[in-house]
Amino acid sequence: MNDAPSALTLSAIRKKFGSLMAVDNLDLAVQPGALVSLLGPSGCGKTTTLRMVAGFESPDSGQITIGGEDVTRQAPNKRGLGMVFQSYSLFPHRTVAENVAFGLRMAGASKQTQADEVRRMLDMVHLTGREEMYPSQLSGGQQQRVALARALVVNPRVLLLDEPLGALDKALRESMQFEIREMQQRLEITALLVTHDQEEAMSMSDQIAVMHGGRILQLGAPNDIYDRPETAFVATFLGTSNLFEGQVQGDRLQTRAGALPLPARPAGDSATLSVRPERVVLGEAASGLPQQLRGRITAASFRGAYAAYHVTLEGSGVEVTAYRQADTALGQTSLAVGTEVPVGWPVEHGVLVTGNAPKE
Amino acid sequence: MPNLVHLSAGARRALLLAPALIFLAVFFVMPLADNSARSFLAEDGGFTLSRYADFLTDRFYLGVIAETVILSAVVTLISVVIAYPVAYVLVRKAGRFSGLIVFLLIAPLLTSIIMRTFGWQVLFARRGLINQWLVTDLGLLDAPLRWLNTPGLAIAALVHVLVPFAVLSIASVLQGVDRRLEEGAQMLGASKLRTFFEVTLPLTTDGIGTGAILVFMIANGSFVTLVLLGGGFQTLPLLIYQQFNTTRDFALASTMSTILLVIALACLWLQLRLLRRQGV
Ligand SMILES: Nc1ncnc2c1ncn2[C@@H]1O[C@H](COP(=O)(O)OP(=O)(O)OP(=O)(O)O)[C@@H](O)[C@H]1O
Ligand SMILES: [Mg+2]
Repeated sequence: MNDAPSALTLSAIRKKFGSLMAVDNLDLAVQPGALVSLLGPSGCGKTTTLRMVAGFESPDSGQITIGGEDVTRQAPNKRGLGMVFQSYSLFPHRTVAENVAFGLRMAGASKQTQADEVRRMLDMVHLTGREEMYPSQLSGGQQQRVALARALVVNPRVLLLDEPLGALDKALRESMQFEIREMQQRLEITALLVTHDQEEAMSMSDQIAVMHGGRILQLGAPNDIYDRPETAFVATFLGTSNLFEGQVQGDRLQTRAGALPLPARPAGDSATLSVRPERVVLGEAASGLPQQLRGRITAASFRGAYAAYHVTLEGSGVEVTAYRQADTALGQTSLAVGTEVPVGWPVEHGVLVTGNAPKE
Repeated sequence: MPNLVHLSAGARRALLLAPALIFLAVFFVMPLADNSARSFLAEDGGFTLSRYADFLTDRFYLGVIAETVILSAVVTLISVVIAYPVAYVLVRKAGRFSGLIVFLLIAPLLTSIIMRTFGWQVLFARRGLINQWLVTDLGLLDAPLRWLNTPGLAIAALVHVLVPFAVLSIASVLQGVDRRLEEGAQMLGASKLRTFFEVTLPLTTDGIGTGAILVFMIANGSFVTLVLLGGGFQTLPLLIYQQFNTTRDFALASTMSTILLVIALACLWLQLRLLRRQGV
């Protein structure tokens, strides 16, 4: 992408637990000041990857560098990183101020420096006045702010975040996502975030690495990954997708739903076409589209900003999901269940992906 | 028994606890109370504190109390210092061997203390196994060493008996320490040793406290070990035994027993306070 040296690189990292390959030949480079998310389902190796960067697990093979320096075998306390855990992990026997000052004290900073920095950090996370409280006296959100202050006060070379907001309720999570992102950008801190929440990854990251089975399947900017998923797994894990598998015949894909026009020339004889629900057009507007499909609406649900429809295609019985902007103030869905409608999408909004739709 | 079912939860609980409570009352609380009462009973049948006044102003007896407490304190200190690393290995390093370690810790408690103390006698007698190894088999010494009736051996035997209690107390608290706290400290630049002193040790002081009080209490009342292995100690339990059996001064023996009981109760009170702080 650019020529600046990476703040953090992982090259060909492997880690086995017994016979289980937790991380499998993983490559990743994080640019200075960028926030990269590791996103993936439970057990895909996100935490293991983060712990190898931190130094709590050591890779079986491969190399990790921080700021160009090989740290693969370096002890965690020598790496100059900051970490925020899902469980906050504040020292329960120390006050807020002592928690935040911990890293400075370990580095041998003077009492005066410690006091000044603690004040500055607590001001930044809006916790001025709580210096003498103990962690157990704070709310979850406040504890996580203290944890953030404690990690940032030492100017870490990379900030590691392992599901930092997983223990918070939804509203608080969203405001904290915004807050952490804003702080990370302002301080130009390089950060690696682990999450299995796709919205969190999309709203906070410069780049998302979608992981599955110990590998990175796709790396890219959030909108990039959303609009151009490379695999069926990424298409369905990040957002929802209609997947049509089939055989290539000329410029069409022969699928169970019918012969669908292709947006591009696939590499092989078989291919999978992914269409996002919000790209699917229902009703009269679809009758001019090249798919020439018809279907019956089998379910409709109002979701606030949009309405979701389940459509069963005529003839094939294939299920298609479609989103439409909610178009009445009362929030009524404008297409009733049972209505028969033309179904289609602009050809360029279909994306060819590899792999098959996940079997449920 | 249909009406048992209709009892309130509280009544049922009382009913279930009753046998144990009655047993304790008859064989434990009543003799203790009777014994203590005797120490307040004057010759003329009235109430008196004179025995306590005499006892607590007598230099000899004060010395005995001091010796009891100091011996227990030394045993406690050594036990905790030995127990902490064992507990640490048990919780953090043993993995699937932890069950074996717990078994090895508890197994000695299943044998009678008298048997174990005799074991020490056999090992450390003048012509015992240890001396035989040192002198005959290995030839490290010219003459056998005198082990029995030395303070060191008595203390070692007491520590041997009491270390498991300290290990189990410390291990149970150490088990609850969140590893992420230690990892957090390391991320912030603390070495492993520093992490131990900054995080692990402070978070396990409750376990150390509980274990220490337990060991101290048991050491304070220990009798068999000191009788069989000697060591020249003059402690309260030994003196009480003498008064009951040799001097037959029951009133004085009762007075000393009550003082020992008060020390034990004070320890118990401390222990309960510690437990309550842990929220157990
Ligand atoms: N210390 C360990 N010993 C054995 N297996 C482990 C260990 N740590 C992780 N694993 C296994 O490695 C795999 C990856 O685990 P990891 O914790 O990295 O997943 P994750 O992506 O963080 O999942 P989650 O979203 O549930 O936190 C899992 O199958 C897990 O069971
Ligand atoms: Mg995880």
